[in-house]
Amino acid sequence: MTTTAGKGRASARLWTSVPWRALAPVVVLAALCIALGLAADNFATAGNFARIATSAAVPAVLATGVTLVILMGGIDLSVEGAMAVAAVVAALVLVAAPGALGAVAAAFAALAAGAALGAVSGAIHVGLRAPSFMVTLGTWFIGLGLAVWLVGGGTVSVRDSELRVLALVRLGGLPLSVWVALGTVLIAWVLQSRTRLGRALFAVGGGEDLAAQSGVPVGRVKVAAFALAGLCYGLGAVLAVAQLGQGNAEIGTGRLFAAVSAAVVGGTSLLGGHGGVLHSLVGVLVVVVLSNGMILLGVPPYLQQAVQGLLIIIAVAVSLDRRGQGLVK
Amino acid sequence: MITLAAPGPRLRAALPMLVLAGLMAALGLAVPGFASPATLLLVLADTATLFVLAAGLSFVIVIGSIDLGVTATASLAGVVTALLLPGWGGWAFPVALAAGLLAGTVTGLVHVGLRVPSFIASLAAGGVVGGLTLWLSDAQAVTIGQTDRPWLDWVAGETAGLPHIIVVAAGALLLGWGLQRLTPLGRFGLAIGASEPATVASGVRVARYKVLAFALSGLFAALAGIMLAARLTSGSPTGASELLLPSIAAVIVGGTAITGGTGGVARTAVGALTVSVARLGMTFLGVDAFAQQILFGVVLIAAVAITTDRASVVVTK
Repeated sequence: MTTTAGKGRASARLWTSVPWRALAPVVVLAALCIALGLAADNFATAGNFARIATSAAVPAVLATGVTLVILMGGIDLSVEGAMAVAAVVAALVLVAAPGALGAVAAAFAALAAGAALGAVSGAIHVGLRAPSFMVTLGTWFIGLGLAVWLVGGGTVSVRDSELRVLALVRLGGLPLSVWVALGTVLIAWVLQSRTRLGRALFAVGGGEDLAAQSGVPVGRVKVAAFALAGLCYGLGAVLAVAQLGQGNAEIGTGRLFAAVSAAVVGGTSLLGGHGGVLHSLVGVLVVVVLSNGMILLGVPPYLQQAVQGLLIIIAVAVSLDRRGQGLVK
Repeated sequence: MITLAAPGPRLRAALPMLVLAGLMAALGLAVPGFASPATLLLVLADTATLFVLAAGLSFVIVIGSIDLGVTATASLAGVVTALLLPGWGGWAFPVALAAGLLAGTVTGLVHVGLRVPSFIASLAAGGVVGGLTLWLSDAQAVTIGQTDRPWLDWVAGETAGLPHIIVVAAGALLLGWGLQRLTPLGRFGLAIGASEPATVASGVRVARYKVLAFALSGLFAALAGIMLAARLTSGSPTGASELLLPSIAAVIVGGTAITGGTGGVARTAVGALTVSVARLGMTFLGVDAFAQQILFGVVLIAAVAITTDRASVVVTK
């Protein structure tokens, strides 16, 4: 980039050396906040920001999971199925074992259920060499079916359980669930940028055959990514159960859309190898602020889904670096 | 890595037919009265909507892409039909079909023009269409009133014991089959699915045929949506959403590889029948609807694994 700028023209060099493509989501977020602040009186208030943070908690955790899979060039459509299973499992454990210990057990059971479904997706994808979107489409519905079957189609109410402290207890003005989500993003960021698995994820996303030849255990990395993503969906389910005070198979409905749009809007490339969980956090904020703003401005709620769809298309179209890309399937 | 016993090419081509025949035979033996003409007509009528939806989808899967927005398009067409019938009468149908054609074309243009991968383009476009449908219908099923029901006779009625819906589906089959056998779209579609770079190099206007495949997918989905609305006498904004998995399964189980290049509408007819006979069989066996969903997920993954010719695929994403 810098070589194209003329010699001695420091300001021009500075301008072109800024990674605009990577910063675009942040600029979009800032512009969105300023525009909404001007358009809606009640947008820039402490109460509304807390509301935005609260409603961003679950999408942030889910987007973190999806991002790990997208980074290595795959896609995970099983978000809603994994959440459904995990939420139902958590609710059933809560009913069977009330109290604080039960709440901890329920959280771990949900995490395990999510991770297990993710590991199954990954193992099928790698073992049968079936495209990941197809496999996870299958496991999405397998998860939904399992969840409905476990509770017989109804809803398990856990209104009084100890798990609800996640949503009800506030720390620094924000519910614990927001801090849990931030912690998750932080852990995922460390994993992504400071561990061998993280480097392997980028390597597989950048070029799978090359990674394999360099000795990266591609199969294991892929299964690990799907399992970790499932773990995130399990956590998302725990937070959602805590927020709603109930567990059912529909708890994930519409969540896939928000998670995937957050990831791509944040700038994680669907081709793999570029982006990361911090990008997705920005993406989550864009998506959540946008829907918050639409509510404040009185846009019909059903059109929000349509706007999110448009957002995905625009973000993918803008962010895909298509120069080295032969064909798109 | 697991290597399935790879069936030979001829066996692979005949496999869907054999599976369907086997399922029918098993059901015929297990359930007295299943083999009667009346029951078989019922099966055909029940399969019609699923088949039409899957038939459109096969155009897209043959070229190696996927359309996850078909069910949203079908729901849109159902809602448009139900909303317009009172004021516009029979004009509701062409408008609904045009809406589907438009949705499909836009999906295709996003995929081809903006070079967005088809699964994400169709997922997003499906989200837009779904949002618009919820908005149009106010998130509620739109009931088709008693006075407008005669308009639905061409789908929901029957003549001499033959449900019209079967004739409509047969017409869609004929149209789809004709398009694939007799027009350049069919040949080039298969070529694109088999090897897009080679097709581009041969001077075929690949982009045009890809958009056309998505447009047809939207058109067929809209017809399926009208059929669904006619049978239920209401247009539901999310009515078709549970058909997504069965319709993809119908295409794949029929023997069209998810990677493209083989198969087509006729095979999808076999696939759709297999899916609905299997569903019927499970109901007879007392497998409940939720477990059926699990089974469909499993069947889908298995069928994808079996129909994919993995020798030709280097990297699976």
